[in-house]
Amino acid sequence: MGGFVARRLLYLLPVLLGVALLTFLIGALLPGDIATTMLGEDATPEALAELRRDLGLDQPLAVRFLGWLGQALQGDLGRSLRTGQSVAGAIAERLPVTIQLVVLAQVVALGLAIPIAIGCAVHAGGRFDRFFSGVAFASLSVPTVMSAILLIWLFAVRLEWLPATGYAPLDEGLAANLAGFAMPALTLGLAEWPALMRVLRTDLIATLQEDFIAMARAKGLRPSRVLLVHALKPSSLTLVTLTGLNVGRLLGGAVIVEQIFALPGIGRLLIGSIYARDLVTLQGTVLFVATAFVFVNMAVDLAYAGLDPRIRRGAR
Amino acid sequence: MQANPLRPPPSRRTGTVLLRWPIAVLAAVLGLVTIDATAQKRGGAIVMGLEADVSGFDPLTVGIYGPPTVDVASVLFESLTRLDDAGKAVPRLALSWMHADDYRTWTFKLRPGVRFHDGTPFDANAVKWNFDRQKDPANKCRCAAYITHIRSVEVVDPLTVVYRLNNPMVLFPEAAARVSQNTAAHSPAAVAARGAEYNRNPVGTGPYRLKSWVAGDRIVVERNPDYWDAGKSYLDQITFRPLPDSPSRFASLLSGEVDVIFHEHFDHENLARARKDKRFVVHEAPGNGAFPVYALNTKAPPLDDLRVRQALSMAIDKQRLSRVLTGGQARPATNPYGDASWVKCSDDGALPHDPAKARALLADYGKPVEFKLLVTTSPRGRAFGQALQQFWKQVGATVEIEQIDQGGFIPRALKRQYQVIGWSIVDFPDPDPQTYANFQSASATGLANASNPEIDRMLDRARASSDQRVRSADYCEIGRMVNQQALWLWTFQNHSYAIAKAKVRGIPRKHGGVTDLSRAWLE
Repeated sequence: MGGFVARRLLYLLPVLLGVALLTFLIGALLPGDIATTMLGEDATPEALAELRRDLGLDQPLAVRFLGWLGQALQGDLGRSLRTGQSVAGAIAERLPVTIQLVVLAQVVALGLAIPIAIGCAVHAGGRFDRFFSGVAFASLSVPTVMSAILLIWLFAVRLEWLPATGYAPLDEGLAANLAGFAMPALTLGLAEWPALMRVLRTDLIATLQEDFIAMARAKGLRPSRVLLVHALKPSSLTLVTLTGLNVGRLLGGAVIVEQIFALPGIGRLLIGSIYARDLVTLQGTVLFVATAFVFVNMAVDLAYAGLDPRIRRGAR
Repeated sequence: MQANPLRPPPSRRTGTVLLRWPIAVLAAVLGLVTIDATAQKRGGAIVMGLEADVSGFDPLTVGIYGPPTVDVASVLFESLTRLDDAGKAVPRLALSWMHADDYRTWTFKLRPGVRFHDGTPFDANAVKWNFDRQKDPANKCRCAAYITHIRSVEVVDPLTVVYRLNNPMVLFPEAAARVSQNTAAHSPAAVAARGAEYNRNPVGTGPYRLKSWVAGDRIVVERNPDYWDAGKSYLDQITFRPLPDSPSRFASLLSGEVDVIFHEHFDHENLARARKDKRFVVHEAPGNGAFPVYALNTKAPPLDDLRVRQALSMAIDKQRLSRVLTGGQARPATNPYGDASWVKCSDDGALPHDPAKARALLADYGKPVEFKLLVTTSPRGRAFGQALQQFWKQVGATVEIEQIDQGGFIPRALKRQYQVIGWSIVDFPDPDPQTYANFQSASATGLANASNPEIDRMLDRARASSDQRVRSADYCEIGRMVNQQALWLWTFQNHSYAIAKAKVRGIPRKHGGVTDLSRAWLE
């Protein structure tokens, strides 16, 4: 297993380098430049030239990339053009919000997907199966923006159960904190559960027809034990992959959901930096999100190997 | 008697520069008694939903205060003057002011005994220090672009400052009223002590001081117990929350999480709903200026032909545009000043909506009319662009919309690399800064790319005159020429909105789009 982990880490290097290069090029290849953004339309050519020199913008692209990469590796993502705050500091400030949102959204998605998938697999082709397959299809077809607005209308405006917008840090109490996250997590979860449910249902149906399940049943094991222990684990490989890949999708979804529900997370930081043309923050945040995504995928690979010994052996 | 008379004062010339002192104390008292007739109550806390994040308050870092920043800055900071409901400057950090005959030198007497939130005194040196810091080329402040008209600030004594201007400015005290990147008085000691952290740890003289700031989530301010006018600030606390999505911002007001929200007529269904709901009060004020407006590049074919420009102007049905985009809430603009302006024109020369005439003009032109419309990459830029595209298509002109982001947009504007370009006429108390910037032949943002000595002459005369009737007549004539030549096209007048719960009182008339909560109180 140790060798497997080491090899996976080695594979990451070129991927991360590619991510860094693409992120850097966002700033370098966009029309317009940082100096004009910083000094405004009335800046003199001399002032612009001086600022470009100060920022190293007069250097060749490769030199600038290496300098930027070197600083990024030391955790220095630069200072925001808009606020003067360190980008790493801004990300650290907002990261807990996005992590909590993504985790809660996964909990919602898995909490809906797993029991419904089991129910559908057990009663494959039955009324329960058909009904929830239909619901999953409908749920998949509703865009996040739409479900967010419907949820706000229902839970905040009509029923007045939950706040329409806003975030309460944990030190204001768990209840207030979760109330602020309920609708955003539900919005994201509603978009994610159908895919998870479908793959788990399909895999479970296939697994339940395997010989070792017939064997377990023949041994007289309780049906619930056969289902939840013997069948669920080997059926959850695709589910684990998809859950991992979903982190990337959820980060994308968080950009929209954080905007609608006014959560101060990474997504808002990203949108704010795009609107303000704050390239330093934009580059730093994109680099961070992309790197996080790469590492989450690696964690999924490792979890895989834990779940299925064939993968470890195959990798040898 | 006002501190700054708009009409010419009685002519009492004694030497080259005649200074006239107003009745300072009386004005100070009169200026502050217009807020709310009911008995104000002290205590309580309110939450305001802003339309965007606030990036900070240090002018050197943020460059320009956007509208949400100005709303927050209005309780943390103060400027020398403020505007009363009628739009006249009344004392704030300055007790009184006077001007030289040529309106190029303005002397302000400062209010004694004012202290910043950090306890250091506010005085003439602080005013000069703030100005010099922005003006210093070494600081490369974007904010410096907005004080090019001020040559210097001089300290006469600790409570007297003199502003020396490059051009006459009759309404200088009015222009200095809005709490902006240039007018907010920052504590020199706090800026020096906090360095890069000052941006998000601002120190002003305002009725509220910063309590806490969670980036992207909330800015909490508390009542400043040492405020010079402590009897006039009532709330214990105000929380500002950026709620960027308009429908969820309104939903937050409905569900009670916020008490006041920024609003726009583009979300007209909710605006109409709030107007009918007794629990809410819509605070709205027409502003000066117009948005969006479009400049036609008179040096770029086919817009170099008057017939084409006039046809494009006549093709636009602004009433219909308002119905489609704002449910009829927006008021069509026929000139760059707006109904709220003191510039009143009996005839602004606006061309009528006449598609038949427009088609005839284009037929007379004889060649195919095809051009590009340059706008920024905002959803609104696209929406307006598409609407105009349809209007122009109906009269036989083919338009392609080109959207580029702000960073690339401004250089294109300055280099005149466009045929038609989207722009805005900002809501300022005096038309001079915007008309001069947009219509003067040599101006960097004279986007119609036209040279018109007659307009230039009137611009110079209007800015130097103190007679409001003369100025108004000049600006109307300028508007007429721009309309008749179809150099610029206007769509809607500026109009700003805030929706508040009815129990939130003491919100003064909005000026320049600002929602000023500095004297708000809860019923």
